[in-house]
Amino acid sequence: MIITKLALPRRTFLRGLGATVALPLLDAMVPAMSALAATPARPSRRLGFVFVPMGSNPAPWTPKAVGPIAELSPSLEALKPYLEHLTIFTNLELKNANTTGNHASSNAGFLSCARAKRTESTDYENGTTVDQIVAKTLGSKTPIPSLELGTDLIAQVGNCDNGYNCAYQNNLSWSSPTTPLPTEADPRVVFERLFGDGGPPDARRAELRRNASILDWVVKDLASLQRTLGPGDRSKVDEYVDTVREVERRIQRAEQQTSASPLPTLERPASVPEAWEDHVKLMFDLQVLALQADLTRVITFQLARESSTRTYPQIGVPEPHHPISHHTNNPEKLAKLAKINAYHVSLFGYLLERLRATPDGDGTLLDHTAYLFGSGMGNPDLHDHQNLPIVLARGGAGGVKGGRHVKFAEMTPLANLHLTLLDHMGVRLDRFVDSTGRLDLSNGAVSL
Amino acid sequence: MPARWSILLLAGWATLVVASRGVSAVEPRGQAAVTSSAASGRRPAPAAGGVSRSQSLVDEYCVRCHNDRTRTQGLSLSSVDLRSVETDAELWEKVTKKLQARAMPPAGAPRPSEQDYQHLLSFLESELDRAATARPDPGRPPALRRLNRTEYRNAIRELLALDIDVDDLLPADDSSFGFDNISVTGLSPTLMERYLSAAQKVSRLAIGSTVRAPLSRVINVPPDLTQETRLDGLPFGSRGGTVAIHTFPVDGEYAVRIRLARNRNENVEGLNEPHDLELALDGARVERFTVTPKRNQLAGYYADEGVDAHLEARLPVTAGPHEVRVTFLAKTGALIETERQPYLARFNADRHPRAQPAVRSISIEGPFSTSGISATPSRRRIFTCAPAAASAADPVRAGVTSRRSLARSRAQTADAACARSIIASLARRAYRRPVTDADLEAPLAFYREARTEVRPEATAFEAGIEMALRAILASPEFLFRIERDPAGLAPGTPYRLSDVILASRLSFFLWSAPPDEELLGLAERGELGRPLVLERQVARMLADPRALALSSNFAHQWLHLRNLAAHSPDNRQFPEFDHNLRQAFRRETEMLVETVIAEDRPVTELLSASYTFLNERLAKHYGIPGVYGDQFRRVTLGDRRERFGILGHGSVLTVTSYANRTSPVLRGKWVLENVLGTPPPPPPANVPPLAERATGKMLSMRERMAEHRKNAVCATCHQLMDPTGLSMESFDAIGRWRARDEDGSPLDVSGQLPGGQAFEGVDGLRQALLARPEVFVSTMAEKLLTFGLGRGIDYRDRPAIRAIVRRAAQDEYRFSSLVLAVVRSAPFQMRRT
Repeated sequence: MIITKLALPRRTFLRGLGATVALPLLDAMVPAMSALAATPARPSRRLGFVFVPMGSNPAPWTPKAVGPIAELSPSLEALKPYLEHLTIFTNLELKNANTTGNHASSNAGFLSCARAKRTESTDYENGTTVDQIVAKTLGSKTPIPSLELGTDLIAQVGNCDNGYNCAYQNNLSWSSPTTPLPTEADPRVVFERLFGDGGPPDARRAELRRNASILDWVVKDLASLQRTLGPGDRSKVDEYVDTVREVERRIQRAEQQTSASPLPTLERPASVPEAWEDHVKLMFDLQVLALQADLTRVITFQLARESSTRTYPQIGVPEPHHPISHHTNNPEKLAKLAKINAYHVSLFGYLLERLRATPDGDGTLLDHTAYLFGSGMGNPDLHDHQNLPIVLARGGAGGVKGGRHVKFAEMTPLANLHLTLLDHMGVRLDRFVDSTGRLDLSNGAVSL
Repeated sequence: MPARWSILLLAGWATLVVASRGVSAVEPRGQAAVTSSAASGRRPAPAAGGVSRSQSLVDEYCVRCHNDRTRTQGLSLSSVDLRSVETDAELWEKVTKKLQARAMPPAGAPRPSEQDYQHLLSFLESELDRAATARPDPGRPPALRRLNRTEYRNAIRELLALDIDVDDLLPADDSSFGFDNISVTGLSPTLMERYLSAAQKVSRLAIGSTVRAPLSRVINVPPDLTQETRLDGLPFGSRGGTVAIHTFPVDGEYAVRIRLARNRNENVEGLNEPHDLELALDGARVERFTVTPKRNQLAGYYADEGVDAHLEARLPVTAGPHEVRVTFLAKTGALIETERQPYLARFNADRHPRAQPAVRSISIEGPFSTSGISATPSRRRIFTCAPAAASAADPVRAGVTSRRSLARSRAQTADAACARSIIASLARRAYRRPVTDADLEAPLAFYREARTEVRPEATAFEAGIEMALRAILASPEFLFRIERDPAGLAPGTPYRLSDVILASRLSFFLWSAPPDEELLGLAERGELGRPLVLERQVARMLADPRALALSSNFAHQWLHLRNLAAHSPDNRQFPEFDHNLRQAFRRETEMLVETVIAEDRPVTELLSASYTFLNERLAKHYGIPGVYGDQFRRVTLGDRRERFGILGHGSVLTVTSYANRTSPVLRGKWVLENVLGTPPPPPPANVPPLAERATGKMLSMRERMAEHRKNAVCATCHQLMDPTGLSMESFDAIGRWRARDEDGSPLDVSGQLPGGQAFEGVDGLRQALLARPEVFVSTMAEKLLTFGLGRGIDYRDRPAIRAIVRRAAQDEYRFSSLVLAVVRSAPFQMRRT
């Protein structure tokens, strides 16, 4: 798993970056010894979300059969190699997204299931998102509690949808009802957060050792400082010593990790790849690296923001996504919408391929990870929020059976699925916003 | 002296201010413990008559509510004995504060005459001050306080002549007691990691020569910045854009890439015809670009893909800080825009689209090829000597076995001596104190290790220095300001700070930065404590540009201006609000504070100034004619009294409003907290919601406020805040003057101070506040002391604050007199074990 060997054009990386620069950013780059390495029998749990805007063309999306399936629908065809890991859900609903700013509220509600408050100003209000609820529980176990990623580089300000603040569309994750977490789309920034300067393993190890020897001295310095202080202040210095020792421990773990299962030479991407597809794949690569190094266990990724007007000439859709999504049942437009859907799904397939190709303990990363792919909108022509296109890719750990298409009663809350994912991550809530029950993921059936 | 004392005895309160000249201007300096301090002024014992008259005033006006039976606000004064005020100093300081603001007895209750107020105040204050003089307690700020973000940035600037983006390196600091330099005693592992990582990045950037791989930085232009006209700081004939100082680590080739602002349809907003823009380095154009619209059949959706892709230049740049500027070349037609009234912000496609394209970001990457390293300010500051320079010219003496080995060993000796001198100088300034051999041991070891590790030889010396610097920057002695108690003092003993510690207190107070060479030198020689030396240093430091930190750091936090950055009013109601206006608000208040400091004006001018600082944008916002262009200038306000002082500043009026309406509560609270110094207690838990009343009639703000004061729980505090805030209702939520409120109701701006003193409108409020300038000045003194000490202020500090205010009063409350009085106060100069 070498980032430089991925199917990425070399021009997306800085030329001449010989990468002998060592890692400086400790908090970001110290891959704590994963739970797996400590106790190989227990898979570490990871949760990711991939958001796509503006629903789907349901006919080519929905698999024909219900229950265990052997065939996928045309829009989902690219996921065929991972069928055993998939559950496709039909008839989930995001009720609170029914507003006068449907693009804003379906983007905002996808992970919060809450109703976005209509405002153009910074007094916005949504709900804490499911990923952040998990991050609050698991986040302390990894250097980075969660990653919020996207591909749209420019955050808008002010009004983006009929009186709704752009924050609802710029961001997917909210750490509190009033705190949207900024979406990072620049791979360089993400890389630096994860790995600092990067570089080959021996240079990163040398850098770790330099920091270790500085810290070693800091501890001694604190000890001699302590002798010059009064009794009250000495206990404060004790706290500092504990802190520094903790950082030392993190460095030791990182050194062990770098030696035992070394990440490859990490070359820092210079800027955003010119082709959007390369950009998306690079963002997926970074996600896989972050999960592999156990830098974080919670990731959200906005493949494109709601009401995106991106064009996809590379797949024969030169028209922008948003106007195409208002298809008025025009067969030509419906066909193009299906193409966009299938294209987005194929990129998700790229992620699953990377996850499956990455060894992790007794299996692969995919075995120990759950990724939800979907949209907060159903029929984009009507801006409705019923029958959302939702796919869950999940490893085999925990007795989950994939290869199923689960068809719920109409208007089953999406929150039920979120609540179930929370269970699965070890976060037990009685209810999540408008949830009415839990789903049984072990056999794909519904228990309401 | 004796004459003054007798005057004091005869005349009481009215002459206290004058009489306090009798307090020695300079504290006595002792080596160790000082058992008695003159900080709070020496007062004779009050005449026996003072006690009985005071006692009867308390009995008559206070005890009717604060008695054992009713215990209003949990307080009973039934059985207090004014003959021993000092036994309950905390209580009486509270009482004194309420009396000083004339906030008690409450409006409506029988109130003492002004003479009685003054008598009681004078009695209580002199009793409290006397007790404090007898048993001084200068307080005890934490012995270890880490540098906060601002201090860290400034410390790096002073130490290495290097400007850093500190927000990228360190997390934000928490605030307490209104300032972010107080909750700085904790150190989390994450923060330690950030410090460690910052040490690496900063030392590498300062030395430069060890940078191998390209670094990159993105400079973002605020997305809600309107860029239709020339912006302040950019050249005439330009439009929009931005300018930034960037430190280039080495001489080499760098790439600069410009991105334009796009709307949510991914089009370059406002790109309707070709526009030219230029990239300039240090003011000289290096590249001129043209952007041309590419609209096609996609009808305005995502049609501009790649139109800004060519906005990239590769340039050779020498090491060190350079100014990178990107602007559009103005088109003549843009002039029409300036004539619009009201002004329209242009940054959002839906609400108020841009008419012309705008710059969104500049990214700088490099070096891609390295051609050497020029002298940079950082390198000049660090490399005070050159390695091995001495050996080359040295003739080799006869009798030595090998010329070469002697030369090498001499070179190494010279290297080591030079390294030692560089590291000693860095460590001394980083630790802000004289350094010992023991201090240098570890940094020198780091130097030697890296020196021998690194190849090629040419960079080995500098790599060694870099490693030593990195260690110094990670040292607790740099990261923490340490106030060590002298050995051998019993706990609770007040003592005078050493000159070296005093130097740091002084420089972090006035500059938010470590001491400079002059200050540190004086401290090391033990001269700083001399009264005249100290006074001259304070004057010098206030005249230094670094004292701008008192405006940009202290005043910003005090007046809540920091909240402006995150404040954005409702676009629909206030389509004219954009980043330009936000900046203008900030600048206006900053410039007033800077003027008060630079011209050493009375601090009360912050409230009363009959002038302000405007550019065209802000002048239009205020409806003041005759101000053109984006640069700020001083404007005399004439009869526009509503804009006098900070109470008329858009900055203050906006940060005390909600996004879509004014808030008399927030404004009243702001005045109570920051001007009167009597913040209301925090709201109790379980605040009942305001009852929705379906009267069918739109209530005016005043009626709504009255509704909520009907609830007894709310009323106790809101009757203090609301009437003050309501008097400021003539300003809307973005500080414009108005005649009607949001709902169109005519305004009633009658107001009342907490003590019931009535007035009309913001001008009335201002005059009421200025009628007792000592109240505002003592609030400011308290804020300065809080910020200067890095700790919360409590009742034990009140005698010192009174002394500060009395001293400043002798000099018309001029800024320098207030600062000097703070610096001379016992809490600032002393500490308790």
